[in-house]
Amino acid sequence: MTQWIRWLIDNWLQIAIPTLAFLACYVVGLWLRRVAYRAFDRWVVKARWEGSQLVVQTTRRPFLHWFILLGAYIAIHVSVLPAEGKTIAGRAMASLFILSLMWVAVSLSEKLVKLYLPKLKAPQTPTTLVANIARVTVIVVGVLILLDIWGAPTTPIILVLAAGLFIAGLALRDVIPNFFLGTQVALGEQIKVGDFIRLGSGEAGHVTSITWRNTQIKTLEGNSVLIPNSTLARTTLTNYGHPIKEATTPLRFSTRLHLKELTGLKAHNLHELVDTLKQVPDSVVYYHTHHFLEEHHYLTPEPANDFALWVSDALGNDVLGERLASIDTFDFATIGALKKRLVDVIENYLEKSPAGGEAPEGGEFHFIRSKSIILPTPYVARDLREFAEVMKKITIDSIYFHIFDARLRLQKGTNDFSIWIDDCLGEQELADEIARLDPYVYTLESLRAKIVQLVEEHI
Amino acid sequence: MRNSVEEEIYRQSKCKIQDYESIVGRSYIEELRMLGERLSEKVIQTINSTYVGGGVAEILAHLVPLCNQLGVDVRWNVIQGSDDFFEVTKKFHNALHGKDEKISPEEFSLFLEINQRNLNELGFCGDIFFVHDPQPVALITKRNEIGGKWVWRCHIDVSNPNQEVWNFLRGFVLDYDAIAFSSPSFAQQLPVNQFLISPAIDPLSDKNKELPSETIDSVLVKYGLSQDKPMVVQISRFDYLKDPVGVIDAFERVKKNIDCQLVLAGGTASDDPESERVLSEVRERAAGNPDIHILLIPPGSDIEINALQRAATVIMQKSLKEGFGLTVSEALWKRKPVIASAVGGIPLQIKHRFTGLLCYGIDGAVYGLRQLLTNHEYANWLGENGRQHVKQNFLITRQLRDYLLTFLSLDCPGDVVYL
Repeated sequence: MTQWIRWLIDNWLQIAIPTLAFLACYVVGLWLRRVAYRAFDRWVVKARWEGSQLVVQTTRRPFLHWFILLGAYIAIHVSVLPAEGKTIAGRAMASLFILSLMWVAVSLSEKLVKLYLPKLKAPQTPTTLVANIARVTVIVVGVLILLDIWGAPTTPIILVLAAGLFIAGLALRDVIPNFFLGTQVALGEQIKVGDFIRLGSGEAGHVTSITWRNTQIKTLEGNSVLIPNSTLARTTLTNYGHPIKEATTPLRFSTRLHLKELTGLKAHNLHELVDTLKQVPDSVVYYHTHHFLEEHHYLTPEPANDFALWVSDALGNDVLGERLASIDTFDFATIGALKKRLVDVIENYLEKSPAGGEAPEGGEFHFIRSKSIILPTPYVARDLREFAEVMKKITIDSIYFHIFDARLRLQKGTNDFSIWIDDCLGEQELADEIARLDPYVYTLESLRAKIVQLVEEHI
Repeated sequence: MRNSVEEEIYRQSKCKIQDYESIVGRSYIEELRMLGERLSEKVIQTINSTYVGGGVAEILAHLVPLCNQLGVDVRWNVIQGSDDFFEVTKKFHNALHGKDEKISPEEFSLFLEINQRNLNELGFCGDIFFVHDPQPVALITKRNEIGGKWVWRCHIDVSNPNQEVWNFLRGFVLDYDAIAFSSPSFAQQLPVNQFLISPAIDPLSDKNKELPSETIDSVLVKYGLSQDKPMVVQISRFDYLKDPVGVIDAFERVKKNIDCQLVLAGGTASDDPESERVLSEVRERAAGNPDIHILLIPPGSDIEINALQRAATVIMQKSLKEGFGLTVSEALWKRKPVIASAVGGIPLQIKHRFTGLLCYGIDGAVYGLRQLLTNHEYANWLGENGRQHVKQNFLITRQLRDYLLTFLSLDCPGDVVYL
């Protein structure tokens, strides 16, 4: 006991200095923590950063630990311990410091991810993936530093890690761009679920989901299309935004195809023409007054009906040809009424000029009947934007069906589009504008363009 | 099960249905697929007399693979017959075209006998039987045993047939469910549904595909044609019915005022002894005029025909009689202004003053040539309209659609059918 006391008296300075150094560090740590966290609190009040509490909770205790470790490290360094002991104790202190730092980094990153994940409009998968990558990176770097502190060789490990990263990079070369672009697409808010988008390649539809690899859209035909995010980034993309007013009932587009049915009936002169015309069914009159619209849809103004053309070209009777050509199909709600008008005009002419002329051999008028085959297309419009997009895609046969066929089918003097726009969307003004178009003075392509223009202007 | 010839045809058929999307549009091909889906439960057996050679085989070699690509199970069979049988059917062919042919009772019997033999040997497996031209027409005699729906596709001009032959065939034709003709003028007053299905061109074939200007130039150089003079071209075999001498007459009258050159290009048919005589007459008529070029083009020179049509300023088809005259559609597809006679199926392809000019004689041809060689804007307008007209009405996709609609309509009477 006496020996111990004597030793303490002789060496009190060698004990006091490390102890004082340790205590000084501890006190400085306490003081610094108070000052630093007060300054931090003031900054947070200004910056209104909602993650401040997490930072404080996570770092407050470790902050003091770091000063305790620093104090211990300095105390050991200034103590009378042998050099070897100092080295081991110093490495132990440094290792504890690194471990503490790692714990703080991992813990803080997890808490921040949990805080911001619901607020990020990014896909969940890449966000959690980023958190995991950050955690693994911290741990790997920390382990490497620890090994370095204890003098273990780290170069082979770094090389192995680099090689692993390179291989992983190669294996994921297609995934990585999608991953970053998916995040970019979502974080950049270029597109959102529900938006209607059109790609430069022509695909168009509503966005139904965005993942870290693909963006899924539902096309106008009702198909689901997966578009790699890298494709989205490389192509021209038009975002039309959220759906506009939705129709009470969607419009399903149909198309009308037709077969030409030969009746075997023919006329060599006006008398035979008018006699046969009286007997044939309406489908024959329909064919000869409408087939030009589809077969010669590129011409404007469109040629007259077949009867007028035949009378002019085959009989050389331009006077009657002109009278027949001037009959405006648009004025008639039924084919029966149109047929009666054609018969009246020819009979009135024959009353004054009974001869009427004879067609040359091979120039007879052949009566043809139209057999219509109507089938639904996959195209559906739920709002005006979809309607305009579908209008750009459908065939002219489909346009013909909804415009020309509808007038005679419905006998309302209007068309399917106007009825749907009025009844199911309540857009009466637009419906009337389309109904007022005289479809017989447009080519089918120019009619398509005009309707699309009206709808897009309305949107 | 396909035989080796059929396999070869399938192998050679390079065109895919999606290849036509760039020409007729995606929606059009989608509609074809929709029609194909509705026929996917049916087996369609198409029957003619040969796998190779002739227009029908050429059409089927294109259409059958395209139908299959649309999901329609079309199987192709040919009837077998002796040389004597085909001699008889050749006579039938000529007689239906209006030629005065004498058919003996033995020849009628032979026709029936061969059809009967094929009825026993040919495996019938279809829901719809699609029979082409007169050779296999009598297979219908056993329709009650075989069942199914039967369609007769007549590729021949029967507007003015030999009555003896037509009445003989009529007995079989009346048993069919439907008939398809190429032109309204071919229709007869029959108690059978008759459909108009015009022939069509394949825009992707060597004869109609786009050509680089180097190819066109090389063909002009090969035949010694000037690239500086406007060129009037008629492509057709050397046949009186194509009126090549009439074309020369019209050209010479126009040439007095307009510096231009004429190209009459075509082949001679080995089965037509008259064609050599026509060729020599034409050469004699053109002798001494360096601006008239008579070109004898060997069979299979589709690229050269294509190049000549593309190099032409105006294309003529001054036929005296014509089946359908698809050379007109070929010319229109290449945006060329066309002057053609109003015969056969030509008026379907040319709406006078809208997609080309029709003529009824040499005077009309001269008038049209003067108009088109001097009024380039009008000529271009007609050419562009002609291209659109063919695109809408005379491409193979339209023909394919018409066939599918015909098959679908067999179970659906009435003027309006909802599928």
